[in-house]
Amino acid sequence: MVLVFPAIAVLISMGIYAVLTQKNMIRIIIGISIVESAIILLLGAIAYIPEGVAPILDQPYDTVVDPLPQALGLTAVVINASTTAIMLALVIKLYNRYQTLDIHEIRKLRG
Amino acid sequence: MKKINFDKVFSFILVSLLGLFILRVLYSVAGEEAARFTADHYINFGVEETSAINIVTAILFDYRAFDTLGEATVIFTAASVVALLLPRHEASMLKTEFTPVVQQSIAFVLPFLWIISIFLIAYGHLSPGGGFSGGVIISAISILIIFTYGYRYMTRRFNVKKLSLIEDIGALAFLTIGLAGIIAGGTFLANSQVGIYPGTPGELLSGGLMPLSNFAVAAKVGTGLSVIFLSLARED
Repeated sequence: MVLVFPAIAVLISMGIYAVLTQKNMIRIIIGISIVESAIILLLGAIAYIPEGVAPILDQPYDTVVDPLPQALGLTAVVINASTTAIMLALVIKLYNRYQTLDIHEIRKLRG
Repeated sequence: MKKINFDKVFSFILVSLLGLFILRVLYSVAGEEAARFTADHYINFGVEETSAINIVTAILFDYRAFDTLGEATVIFTAASVVALLLPRHEASMLKTEFTPVVQQSIAFVLPFLWIISIFLIAYGHLSPGGGFSGGVIISAISILIIFTYGYRYMTRRFNVKKLSLIEDIGALAFLTIGLAGIIAGGTFLANSQVGIYPGTPGELLSGGLMPLSNFAVAAKVGTGLSVIFLSLARED
């Protein structure tokens, strides 16, 4: 649990760095997806309890991990897929119109 | 050139500070032994109240079914937006054809994938799985068909209109299941609070309306993601 947090911080920082510095729109989408995956990892990490079993209670148990962040994680996965699909669709539209994926070029071509 | 490098250095410093801040927050959150009232309630009384063994499914389709409705709406909106934005042409950008070996082996695998998906959906309240994971496997089946047999083969059987119809039926079924809670004397999407057929925990027919809502959500998720992929794969 303690070791997961640096990984989450590094992943979120990496994703936002990609969004800030990359010019290719596909790479920006990849950066956003990395941040979203880090959020799901965070939800799994804060649900974890040492020596807890999965919240499927068909046998005697001692400690159970927190089921609520896991349910929220399922929501996050679905919304990630939806937002990524919409971003990709918008990129296809922009490419068809401007014939480039460079976000600076598209900003220049306004109008 | 110099300006770009400066931008990158500046972003790197900013992002590092952000990472340190996130780390500080996470460690301070983890250090506190927070009382988990809701989680303790779900774990201690979840099986008794909802008669679903899988507590995650119990939260998704019973305690917080309203959240699931919002989530289903997000997929619905995404599928509609993607199908609206992209051009309506029958041609596909997937022009490569696979050899008969791949086609035969995929034809062999597909029935097993159907069994896995139906199992995950039907036993969603008893074992790991549920409407969302089963629906994702259904959409993976459609993606496999498109990749191996081509876009035209898929659209001859199931075009976007037909898939959208199934998606709408899934959404309406979920809403109808929600109305059953009102009819039984509770709130919208109430299930165990009004005691709709609790059954014995551990049996297939238990958990009230949970298996039905699993199937409705699976129809919605599977066809919604298939519509998204079909729309992204076609090209003018």
